[in-house]
Amino acid sequence: MSLHNSIKMKQEISVTIDGKVYQSTFGKTILEIARENNIYIPTMCYLTKVKPIASCRMCIVNVEGVEGAILSCQEKATDGAVITTQNHTLNKERQNIMKLYNVNHPLECGVCDKSGECDLQNKTMEFNVATQPFTVREQSRPVKKWGYVSYDPALCIMCEKCVRVSTEITGDEALSIKVGGYASEIINLKQSNNYSSLGAAAAVCPVGALVDTKFKYTSNAWELEKIPSSCPHCGSGCQMYYEVKHDIIYRVTNNAEFTTLCGAGRYGFDYANKNVSKNQKAFTQAVEAIKNAQSILFAPQITNEEALILQKIKEKTGAKLICGEAKAYQNFMQAYSEITGKQLYSGSIENISKSKVIIILGTRINNDAPIVKYHINMASKWHSARVAYMHPLEDIEMKNIVTQFIKYEPQSEEGVVALLVSMLLHEVEIPNYVKTFLDDLDIGYLSAETNVGEEELETLRKSMMKKESKSLIIGSDLYAHPRAKEIAKILALVEKYTDFNVVCIPPAGNAMGVSLICDLDDEASGNSVGYNVEADFVLSALNDSKKDNHYLDMPALNQQEGTLTTNDRRVVPINVSQPYGGYVLNDIANALGIEARYTIEYTKSLPKERGFQSIEFDALPDYFDRLGEAYRGYHLKECNVSIYEKLEEVATLDGFDGAVLYHCNPVEQFSAFTNVGEALHQEAFLLGSPQFAVATKLNDGDSISYTIDNVKFKRMFKIDTSLKGTIALNPTYDMGLSTPLVSSYRFSRVEIQKTGSNDE
Amino acid sequence: MSLEQFKNRNVGTQRYTMLDLGKDPQTPWCKVRQVIRRTFKGDLLVGLWVTMREMFNALFRGNMATLKYPYEKLPISPRYRAIHDMLRLLESGHYRCIGCGLCEKICISNCITMDTRYDENQRKEVSEYTINFGRCIFCGYCAEVCPELAIVHGARYENASEQRASFSLFEDMLTPIDKLNLQKEYPGFGAVSPDADENIKQTPLAY
Repeated sequence: MSLHNSIKMKQEISVTIDGKVYQSTFGKTILEIARENNIYIPTMCYLTKVKPIASCRMCIVNVEGVEGAILSCQEKATDGAVITTQNHTLNKERQNIMKLYNVNHPLECGVCDKSGECDLQNKTMEFNVATQPFTVREQSRPVKKWGYVSYDPALCIMCEKCVRVSTEITGDEALSIKVGGYASEIINLKQSNNYSSLGAAAAVCPVGALVDTKFKYTSNAWELEKIPSSCPHCGSGCQMYYEVKHDIIYRVTNNAEFTTLCGAGRYGFDYANKNVSKNQKAFTQAVEAIKNAQSILFAPQITNEEALILQKIKEKTGAKLICGEAKAYQNFMQAYSEITGKQLYSGSIENISKSKVIIILGTRINNDAPIVKYHINMASKWHSARVAYMHPLEDIEMKNIVTQFIKYEPQSEEGVVALLVSMLLHEVEIPNYVKTFLDDLDIGYLSAETNVGEEELETLRKSMMKKESKSLIIGSDLYAHPRAKEIAKILALVEKYTDFNVVCIPPAGNAMGVSLICDLDDEASGNSVGYNVEADFVLSALNDSKKDNHYLDMPALNQQEGTLTTNDRRVVPINVSQPYGGYVLNDIANALGIEARYTIEYTKSLPKERGFQSIEFDALPDYFDRLGEAYRGYHLKECNVSIYEKLEEVATLDGFDGAVLYHCNPVEQFSAFTNVGEALHQEAFLLGSPQFAVATKLNDGDSISYTIDNVKFKRMFKIDTSLKGTIALNPTYDMGLSTPLVSSYRFSRVEIQKTGSNDE
Repeated sequence: MSLEQFKNRNVGTQRYTMLDLGKDPQTPWCKVRQVIRRTFKGDLLVGLWVTMREMFNALFRGNMATLKYPYEKLPISPRYRAIHDMLRLLESGHYRCIGCGLCEKICISNCITMDTRYDENQRKEVSEYTINFGRCIFCGYCAEVCPELAIVHGARYENASEQRASFSLFEDMLTPIDKLNLQKEYPGFGAVSPDADENIKQTPLAY
């Protein structure tokens, strides 16, 4: 795997392993070369996705001319090395290591969750350790419950994988090692935060020490059927398995050796629309409603195929298709592509982790796309990347990786983008129209209005000097901005004229797929039908919003087959993990004369002019090879679009003053669907800093109400001392069918009404 | 081998002994005579004698040969495989089952279903355990695989029920707590061998 070695030297070397000569490139470790060539070297602590841990010493090999054994996981192979991976001494050593791992290891495989998929079990058998020949006096080591995960120190073999994942990958930095010889154990330094990202640390535990609290002792691993799928919650579409028994999802796992799943993906699986049967009457009503609908509203949590069905319905009935967030993204990318000439951005998520400079703009990235944050964290930990975080709100969770926080005023993004781009294009060869545009910028004015100091950008520029591989991450604050198109065009210059790895994070669910497939409209009018959205007639998979009339059940995304489009520009398959007995969107389409037997028949007819390929659903691959290369679905083809190179002058900046709300969900929440399940369900609060409380004359615990995008919010206000300034975080995940309606610019000034106070 | 040889069923040496059965009656009169002779011969009483002797023994000597089922039952082999019993630990009275799921896994007729959970004492607790006796074939694999001697076969062989598939719950099969002193170890499949004590090995944990 090349994750750890972005070393430029691609010098060809040849090494001899167990008598055979293999070609490779310099920079790879002995273990990597062995695995590439299908040679088995046993390991206990090695985890491909992090840097070598080197705590187990199982991977020892002999190299000719070197005395003693060396660790193949961290030693780079040199040209002409002669390596032996198996001999009597090495095996004896490995067997002794296994004997030591088994010191006092509780003989409770019968009840242990890990039994059946346990590395310790497998290797103990493999090295023929039939007894526990050594022992020490056991100490009292109680099980610790850390919220989403629990830790049993008695079972822990101190391989450190979890600690590495927590620091190198997820970046919560909660786990650490308490060193103390035999009394060593893993400790949770940030127990009060209850990070759901610790699930990723539990996923790599080779024994049953760190396990999901909810799953603990509920089922044996071998009883569960693994159903491969992709996580539908955010735009990342991470690989995952639903583990199912008796039609109940017990847990979600992933290929933790190579990939990572965030808390929402791992714990937000229980959102299926259960116990649905075919309601003929409601179905007939639904077909009638769609026939007569002037607008069809839908949430971006749908598959590509469903999006195509909606598009076909639109072509048939002439109804408007409304999906606020996807529409904003579509407009943004359209304007973006007018400069770049390509339909989508060219950056990739994986390249973020290889970057040495990362600029994040217009997103609270830890909440909006945890997986992207993980990649930023990897870059920070592996390459000490400079991370510039540009946002009106500081994020305490990003503190340990952000090297420079650049604060700007809400709604002044156009100015910020102009300033940033003029800095990035400094000393870059650019055509005249860009030059004129940049020369015309009134830097002083922009700087004053946006609150971004020239010296801040100068510091950023200096820190970027002589650094290769840079990334720019653009987030959803910009998509629904009133001047989104102009912003997109300015940002597109970065992709076109610099070597930045630019990624425009899709705002929600399958927004990218929807924006590519559907011809979306701006405003709803007349009779409306909503798919997972509040409307005159509702088709919904949200089982907490059941109504008697004007309502038809729909399958949730874990009850359907289909594909999703991810922020890595990949089309990945999802599979059925839960039974569903009702009608699906395809049935309605069939009733309208748009014939297809199954929804997945549309997989091969996704629009080719948008980069989709004509591949049957059943032919989509979904696996990782031995080296961790993902074979999941296919990559969208690059599509060229017509170029329209014209930049508009930066408009007068109209900053927000006073109390402002920012739509932002907690880390584990993306939509109404993540909130349905029991594991992640949580009450939503308006979170504001003490300053915000003063500015709005609110007290901690006050009941308040306000209206945004015609959606009435009623909730409690809470003071969060980790926040600063007068911007409060307003979550939208708890609004059920109304959640997708909140799709305007993420900062908003609202009238807050106090409906009750704490002391009443 | 040729077909003729193959068809020859007269294998081996022919050494039949013919019985002297006399001649069959030929004329109708002979047949009548045979019937009369057989009817009035005392052979009937020879047969009845056995019955009368047993009747006498049963009535006057208290030597009854039949059982009044279902009021009386024959003792059966301790290794008989009938409805399962769930045993308890003799010392604590806690049920022995640790919820490992091996019986569920090994069951060839898929009749065992169990659910487990994490209980307050940080132990794996069996929250649901049923055996579908409509499916169970009483093969004894579950008792054999059980690492704790928790599930064994008992002697309850009457499993007629109103429903074809009758379920049995964990509690039904569990030794009643007040009858714990009557609980017997099962000597059948999966039980400890009589020389188990000699074969036991101390782990280093027994310091």
